[in-house]
Amino acid sequence: MKVIAIVSAKGGVGKTTFSANLSMAMSRAGVPTLAVDLDPQDALHLHFGLSMPCGDGLVEATLTGMDWRHALLQSEFGCDLMPYGQVEEEDREAFEHLLREQPLLLRQRLESLNLPDDAVVILDTPPGPSVYLTQALSAANMALIVVLSDAASYATLPLMVGLIQRYCLNRSDFNDYAYLVNQVDHSRQLNSDVAYVMRTQFGKRALGLVHQDQAIPEALACNQFVCDYDQHSRGAADLKLICEQMLTRLALSYRATA
Amino acid sequence: MKNADPAQPAEWLSGVPIKPRWQAHPLLRKLLLLVAAVMTALVIAVPLDVYQQFTFGGVTVIAALWIRRSIAGQIGVMLLVVLSVTASLRYMFWRLSNTLDFDHLLDGILGWGLVLAELYALTILLLGYVQTTMPLKRKPLPLPADIGTWPTIDVFIPTYNEPLSVVRATVLAAQSMDWPSGRLRVHLLDDGRREEFRVFSQAAGAIYLTRPDNSHAKAGNLNAALARTQGEFVVIFDCDHVPTRSFLQLTLGAFLQDKKLAMLQTPHVFYSPDPFERNLNTFRVVPNEGELFYGLVQDGNDLWNAAFFCGSCAVLRRKALLEVGGIAVETVTEDAHTSLKMSRKGYNMAYLAIPQAAGLATESLSAHIGQRIRWARGMAQIFRIDNPFLGRGLTWGQRLCYANAMLHFFYGLPRLVFLTAPLAYLFFGAQIFQASGVMVLTFALPHILLSIATNSRLQGQFRHSFWNEVYETVLAWYISWPVLLALISPKLGKFNVTAKGGIVKENYYDWRMGSPYLVLLLLNLAGLAAGAWRLLAGDGSASTVVINLVWSLYNITIASAAVFVANEASQMRSTPRVNARLPATIHLPNGRTLVCETRDLSTDGVSLALPAETSVKLGEKFNIALSSGSFETVLPGTVVSEGSVIGIEFAALTVTQQRELAQVTFSRADAWLGEWGRSTIDAPLTSLRNVLSFGGANLLRLSLGKGFGMPVKLRRDASPPNHP
Repeated sequence: MKVIAIVSAKGGVGKTTFSANLSMAMSRAGVPTLAVDLDPQDALHLHFGLSMPCGDGLVEATLTGMDWRHALLQSEFGCDLMPYGQVEEEDREAFEHLLREQPLLLRQRLESLNLPDDAVVILDTPPGPSVYLTQALSAANMALIVVLSDAASYATLPLMVGLIQRYCLNRSDFNDYAYLVNQVDHSRQLNSDVAYVMRTQFGKRALGLVHQDQAIPEALACNQFVCDYDQHSRGAADLKLICEQMLTRLALSYRATA
Repeated sequence: MKNADPAQPAEWLSGVPIKPRWQAHPLLRKLLLLVAAVMTALVIAVPLDVYQQFTFGGVTVIAALWIRRSIAGQIGVMLLVVLSVTASLRYMFWRLSNTLDFDHLLDGILGWGLVLAELYALTILLLGYVQTTMPLKRKPLPLPADIGTWPTIDVFIPTYNEPLSVVRATVLAAQSMDWPSGRLRVHLLDDGRREEFRVFSQAAGAIYLTRPDNSHAKAGNLNAALARTQGEFVVIFDCDHVPTRSFLQLTLGAFLQDKKLAMLQTPHVFYSPDPFERNLNTFRVVPNEGELFYGLVQDGNDLWNAAFFCGSCAVLRRKALLEVGGIAVETVTEDAHTSLKMSRKGYNMAYLAIPQAAGLATESLSAHIGQRIRWARGMAQIFRIDNPFLGRGLTWGQRLCYANAMLHFFYGLPRLVFLTAPLAYLFFGAQIFQASGVMVLTFALPHILLSIATNSRLQGQFRHSFWNEVYETVLAWYISWPVLLALISPKLGKFNVTAKGGIVKENYYDWRMGSPYLVLLLLNLAGLAAGAWRLLAGDGSASTVVINLVWSLYNITIASAAVFVANEASQMRSTPRVNARLPATIHLPNGRTLVCETRDLSTDGVSLALPAETSVKLGEKFNIALSSGSFETVLPGTVVSEGSVIGIEFAALTVTQQRELAQVTFSRADAWLGEWGRSTIDAPLTSLRNVLSFGGANLLRLSLGKGFGMPVKLRRDASPPNHP
């Protein structure tokens, strides 16, 4: 089992959409995939066509002491989903309190799922520092920082790197972190220039970029995987490429640690 | 520099695989050489009767064919060259000693004319062997890791009357060459003093230079710029030669390692077909005229330290250039002459056979001929005023190579002699060859067959047998007179700029240019009739008539193909076009995208292959993203042709967009590697069949009164192309 934390310092960078699309792409590539929603917005399940409050979600399961395996949902896209769940405010507070007390809770629960060695778990997190982010980073084998190619994203880069250094880099089971530049639009000069600067600065940690593409939000609105919705779109092509990159990096880490 | 003694490779030859396998005592070596010389002289001179000569010739030819098939590599080439040289010298010895006993004055005049033409051809054959048997195949040398030590470079792009659309890509691509930014200055040298060019240079950040007059044309233009710049090295691109980003990094290393290196030339490659290729429909199938020169001749020259400057796509060391007074202005081929002068001063010359720039070929036959007349005239001028056999400072290898480069252009008159020689007998019964037909065959055939076989082996990658006879035939008439004139008085002659970037709007026959070959064709046809009549009337020796008839038939074929070259086929594209498969994305106005792949790109537009079952509408406007590596540019365009491969015409681009376009297209290091020197390898019989079918089909057309149509498509050779 390999755990990938999808993180960002800033909100609105398209993390949840990307997490869903990556889960679907991985699953399409034949990798057993589980998407876990760690964001109280509880929006990830919408991307899987599961629009109503369905099942208990991970908060309920954790608070009631239920086996996480029973809280997993199967999506029509092949991958499994663990939604956050629609919860009362006091339940959320209780859950977050628990997370603060047990920093390795997520890690332990994921291990208890006994997923196969070649499985991938994708963690969607809320923006910025939070107890969820701490849990996700503590469980992750790889962190993917999603940024937009704009000045604000650029300015927040050190914050996230600091957190990763604290929770990840001292662990031997942590592979590395990488960057994904989202919604790149080369027809806008500033956007294109920042993307170039970022790519240069990231070096080997530049995993790739997803171009601005209307097919991505449209696919969401139609409850479809973008690669099915418009297979010839840039977005679909970018996603496939990133999925391949990711799998290559994870496979390398297997070999490196073995 | 040391003399080019083959037993003692000079330093600059290190790495060339000609190290002797064993070391003989110098005295023994001299003795062996003497024995070999005596034996060769014997083989050349010993008289044989017709049966003996027939056997000897036959054995030689069979041996050569066996070697050609069975012995690969340098040894095979050497053996073939030895056999060919021996057969040719034996023929010429016999020719001079046995066939010149003329009875009549007319026979004597015509006969000596023929033998002189043959002597010329033999000289060129032998010099060619010296020049091309062992091409150096130089590799690029690395630059020092410390970028701080890289030299400063001035790029000169001279222009006179070419349109800005042609020049623009060159300037932008030159600026995009990989080099420390403070050390690369690109200068646009505008002898047309055009406002449009000044404005463009300013927008692009290039340095715009003009001068008050246009004295000495391009050479003068370059010298004026030389006086106003200081860079350690000068790089010259003709205004249509678009360089790749790697040009400087591949070429400058050699200069830093060899302080006496004055010039490094790279090939001239053309992204558009020249008039021969276009009108004969041989583009990328049969190598063009230039491929032999840049593929083999310059590489062969390089072995002898005699590669020479060709005016563009080259790097020059300013110090060496200034030492010879800048670019030479005494002749109209200032480039070759400048090289010769620097060679005389003891500087080294280099040639690197990696296409790092590409340009436009001449766009019409008349322009092409005009260019070749200039080259021929200039080379004759140098031969006359700065003869490489005379004067100081050159090694024998250099003298021979430079001499061949010049003598090569004297082929006009000899070629015309060969094209009309059989007529002397067929028309007038003149005995210009005092020997029996059978005897001629037994001596001449080994000479001709071996030279074809050997040259095919040496040059097969860059030249196809018989096609160059067509090329030479077309030019022969036009260059003969200027060459003679220049030899008599080097002053006679005017520099003419080769027009480029034009278009031929519709097919037409250029009667003015084509008439000399039509005359040659008709003369030989008349000769054929005369020969037939002689045979029927039993007039003269049948074997002599038949030999002359076959010769005439061959001339008819070559002339028919030559006649076709003046049939100007239309050519619509006038801007550089690169074949490349790059990832591209169409950004539709509604925010949706379509991933596709480029097929070819130019400064005006791009062809895109769409995925199956997708389409776009004619006239639709959208943005196209093109990427090369991690670099991506987005350009606005309009759909101008539909289908699975669509044509896009770009909207007016900003200078920044044009530069980005140049970076993803022409600047790519591999932009021009794909097609150069990769024609099918020569197979002489296939080539002969191609030329015959070409000339034959053409002749048939003419005789049926159908005029000129589009040429038939060439059969591709069965042998595999030469790349792995």
